Amino acid sequence: MTKLLKYMKGYRKECVLSPLFKMLEAFFELLVPFVVAYIIDTAIPAGKNGDTSHIVISCLIMAGLGAIGLTCTIFAQYFAAKAAVGFTSKIKHSLFEHITSLSYTEIDTLGTSTLITRMTSDANQVQTGVNLTLRLFMRSPVIVFGAMIMGFVVDKEAKAALVFVGAIPLLAIVVFGIMCATIPLYKKVQARLDGVLGSARENLTGIRVIRAFGLENDEQRKFKTKTEGLNKAQKFVGAISAVMNPLTYAIVNIAIVVLLYVGNTQVNTDPSTLTTGQLVALYNYMSQILIELIKLANLIITITKALASANRIEAVLEIKSSQEIMALEGSDPQYAVEFRNAYLRYASSPEYSLENIDFTVSKGETVGIIGGTGSGKTSLINMIGRFYDAEKGEVFVNGRNVKSYELDDLREKIGMTPQRAVLFKGTLRDNLQWGDKTASDEEIIKAIEIAQAKDVLDSKEGGLDFVVEQGGKNLSGGQRQRFTIARALVGKPEIIVLDDSSSALDYLTDLRLRTAIAGIDYKPTVFIVSQRTASIQNADKIIVLDDGKIVGIGVHKELLASCPVYAEIYASQFKKGGEE
Amino acid sequence: MKGAATLKLVLSYLKRYWFLIIISLLFALCSVGLTLYIPIRIGDVIDAIDQGLEIAPILIEICILAGAVALIQWVMSLINNKITYNVTRDIRNEAFDKLEKLPLGYVDSHSYGEIVSRMISDIDQFTDGLLMGFTQLFTGIVTIVATFVFMLSLNWVITIVVVVLTPLSLFIASFISKSTYSLFKKQAEAKATETAIIDETISNLKVVKAFSHEDEALEEFDKADLELKKASTKAIFFSSLVNPTTRFVNALIYAGVALVGALAVINALPESISVPFTVGMLSTFLSYANQFAKPFNEISSVVTELQNALACAGRVFEFLDEKNEVADKENALVLTDTNGNVSLKDVEFSYSSDKELIKDLNLEVKSGMRVAIVGPTGCGKTTLINLLMRFYDVNSGSISVDNTDIRDITRHSLRQSYGMVLQETWLQSGSVKDNIKMGKPDATDEEIISAAKACHAHSFIKRLPQGYDTYISDEGSPLSQGQKQLLCIARIMLALPPMLILDEATSSIDTRTELKIQEAFFKLMEGRTSFIVAHRLSTIKEADVILVMNKGKIIEMGTHDQLIKSKGFYSQLYNSQFIETPEE
Repeated sequence: MTKLLKYMKGYRKECVLSPLFKMLEAFFELLVPFVVAYIIDTAIPAGKNGDTSHIVISCLIMAGLGAIGLTCTIFAQYFAAKAAVGFTSKIKHSLFEHITSLSYTEIDTLGTSTLITRMTSDANQVQTGVNLTLRLFMRSPVIVFGAMIMGFVVDKEAKAALVFVGAIPLLAIVVFGIMCATIPLYKKVQARLDGVLGSARENLTGIRVIRAFGLENDEQRKFKTKTEGLNKAQKFVGAISAVMNPLTYAIVNIAIVVLLYVGNTQVNTDPSTLTTGQLVALYNYMSQILIELIKLANLIITITKALASANRIEAVLEIKSSQEIMALEGSDPQYAVEFRNAYLRYASSPEYSLENIDFTVSKGETVGIIGGTGSGKTSLINMIGRFYDAEKGEVFVNGRNVKSYELDDLREKIGMTPQRAVLFKGTLRDNLQWGDKTASDEEIIKAIEIAQAKDVLDSKEGGLDFVVEQGGKNLSGGQRQRFTIARALVGKPEIIVLDDSSSALDYLTDLRLRTAIAGIDYKPTVFIVSQRTASIQNADKIIVLDDGKIVGIGVHKELLASCPVYAEIYASQFKKGGEE
Repeated sequence: MKGAATLKLVLSYLKRYWFLIIISLLFALCSVGLTLYIPIRIGDVIDAIDQGLEIAPILIEICILAGAVALIQWVMSLINNKITYNVTRDIRNEAFDKLEKLPLGYVDSHSYGEIVSRMISDIDQFTDGLLMGFTQLFTGIVTIVATFVFMLSLNWVITIVVVVLTPLSLFIASFISKSTYSLFKKQAEAKATETAIIDETISNLKVVKAFSHEDEALEEFDKADLELKKASTKAIFFSSLVNPTTRFVNALIYAGVALVGALAVINALPESISVPFTVGMLSTFLSYANQFAKPFNEISSVVTELQNALACAGRVFEFLDEKNEVADKENALVLTDTNGNVSLKDVEFSYSSDKELIKDLNLEVKSGMRVAIVGPTGCGKTTLINLLMRFYDVNSGSISVDNTDIRDITRHSLRQSYGMVLQETWLQSGSVKDNIKMGKPDATDEEIISAAKACHAHSFIKRLPQGYDTYISDEGSPLSQGQKQLLCIARIMLALPPMLILDEATSSIDTRTELKIQEAFFKLMEGRTSFIVAHRLSTIKEADVILVMNKGKIIEMGTHDQLIKSKGFYSQLYNSQFIETPEE
């Protein structure tokens, strides 16, 4: 939390003024019973003697105190809202900036859904926490302790006021004790509720399988056990938290009884130390304390939640990107890409995902990468743009170690089409200009033509101004895939990477796409990752991966003869009926 | 569902707890009465002190009363909790039972999120809102009435002061919340826009980074956040004015009561409205004035809550009211030792009446035959499986297994006769082992391992952190799509049902592994009637009969060689897969 406080800069004034005004309001509220005491002790006797002006003035003062209190609060609420929203906005800005600066490794470790939660619900929680803290954190203690102090001010003997000293800690123990006891229990209830929810969800997604195996009765039984557990947990925590209101009510009333008893002796033996009116004032203070204590307790729950959220946000902000840029030795610049005994291991895994990867690619070559699911194809191409770092060994692009590049410079050279074809909300032009913000419509259309998406473009109303919806929902999978390929081509990157990007395309379109890419005039280096041998068999170089290792490098014909894995993959796809 | 009808249903659920409900209401009455009576007795004490009289007996009485109130309140809470949580549990269990009996048509046509929210949050809100809301409403009304009566019994003039001024506070509160409504709406819109940007950017962070698009994304975010900041500040500020303003009105009421009360004490009020009044009564009145507005505010919030709860209840009952799957016939046959003769006669089926799908489908499958079904997306392949498993009933015509119409067979035994592997894999939360033995709960470890070995899943299961005991769930499991599919296949390898349905069963598995599994599959299919759907044509070439479907009809039927020779739709489909790049 402490590190987040720096985002309060610029809101210092508000952070001081808001609680200050709240304190003033509380102070004026505390004066009210004083006035009541004055009415009973002075104004009423005076009134009995015919002078009602004291009564009228006192009541006007009470109304005035209310008005001043209201004014103070309006200021306080305004400053609190401004500071809380501003503070959170600054945090969100930094957080967003920070999250987008993280490397793939951190993104994998944290998971995107957690990161989204940090940005949304956690940030909201913090905002509410700050807002309420500024508003209430001073008010409640001031009323509680103020009431006690006022008790001592009113009661010069301090005997009756001592009841406060006894009652406040007792009430605090009950209120906070019960809260502390129930918070973890409520968490358990929530966990059980999540279990019930998960169970319902699971039965929906698996409804066919459950019915196919005839497991309905088992599932009903399991579900009933879960709801029964939830029911028990709810009743248990409910019984405990139900103690709070009755118990505090009893304590306050007993404290009032003691107060009246002690006060009675004082009023009737030595009226100079305590009057009836003052006793009524003390009684009023006692009633106020309870309300404020409960507010304070609820505030503390909110603050605890906000602090937990703040810590989660801080934890993300503290994560350093694991990638540093360092000066490292270069290699032969004639190669567009060179892997030298590179090993890759993902953060969560005990085993290497890529082992001893060693190959070179000359400028302008087309490289095919093939292998089974999980063989490391995507991992390999992700190392070219330094999305992951080699744990051992080196990766060079244009003869320079990827670790010595500014990441922007490196990634500008590479046009990636990821496996999952994602487009963003905005016009097609916005989407396609990602690789080059200055690209003209002509250049964009050229790229679209190569990506075999010209017909799609022509069919869309508005052409490049066609608005893509969130997640590209208004385009089919194949259309999205072709536009993501076009997006990679727009910046005229030196290296083009197609990661299984033609999976949604039919064989003919795939073929046209590859022919068009081969015909690009500036001769980029092209990596094609595929599960289909047909897509890569004309490549200048085919790299065959199996279980994270290179098991063959060469052209199609060589590999058919020399690499059993390649031959098997080929056979599994091309075994025609007659050849058996 | 109409409000009145919903209310009737709600009451039918509460019937079981009528006794507890009456006790709870009685307790609420007592608690309210005593809570209001205590300030009167405290007023009496103050008067006694003022006049130097004995106070001890009254003090003891107050202590006893306070103790009684506390006890009554606690027991009342326990009773209310019991009613609420039990009704929640009952309805939820019933909803789950319903879920297991609903026709698949319902589940397929509703989003999972919607059904889950009916079962979880709607039920919660309904019981919470309705039961708690009702108690609060009841207590609130009783409090108002009782306070009014008590005040009248003390002094009707001051009562009028309180009663006339209190609506002012309500009026202001509702005025503020109405005017903040539009601000909150604006805030919600701004928030939705910002969340969409966050969601889009962070879920696709890898793409953003691949194109070094971070700065632009931040710029866009900041723009959205500025809007949200403006809207939030306003919404939060204005909504936070409700409490202070009502407090202010309360202060005015308080001052008014003090003024009139003090004047009453000294008999300075005009003769016609003068009533005897003491300092103690004044103190009682002041404490009433402090509390009188509270139940009003509570009631107004409870009313919205009740409306919301009723809407939730409507959704819940609508769900519970859905038609069940047609029940098995009374004398339905339990299918055992199926031979696997399946026949479809003049089957007609469509999901919705306005769009016909399957028509005049006739098919005779002999025991042990391997039937492959191919065709373009949407041709009715999966629908056929839905019909075979009786997830849906045919509109007309019939499907029979071993010459018995499947509508005369218990669903349970029919479905257990099929082993089904679907393209969309589904795993249950539980261990790997639990998942494999789903179809055969009493399987031994050896059987499980040999089933896993048969489909080449053993080697990856072994490498999982706890091997066969590794906990997995459908969401967030450490398994890849292909590995999940292997587990689903292992299930069938273990259960060994007499008939098989494989719907794209190997779509997520790479072709090499697939080739290996194929052998195991072939062994499995030996002597078992099998229905195979696949888009990779190489996997279905060995079938005894290939059905080529298009637009809900079988357009070609025959073996691979026959179909290739006939040069029809199938041969086109088959050859399109093998257009090779021209040699350069």
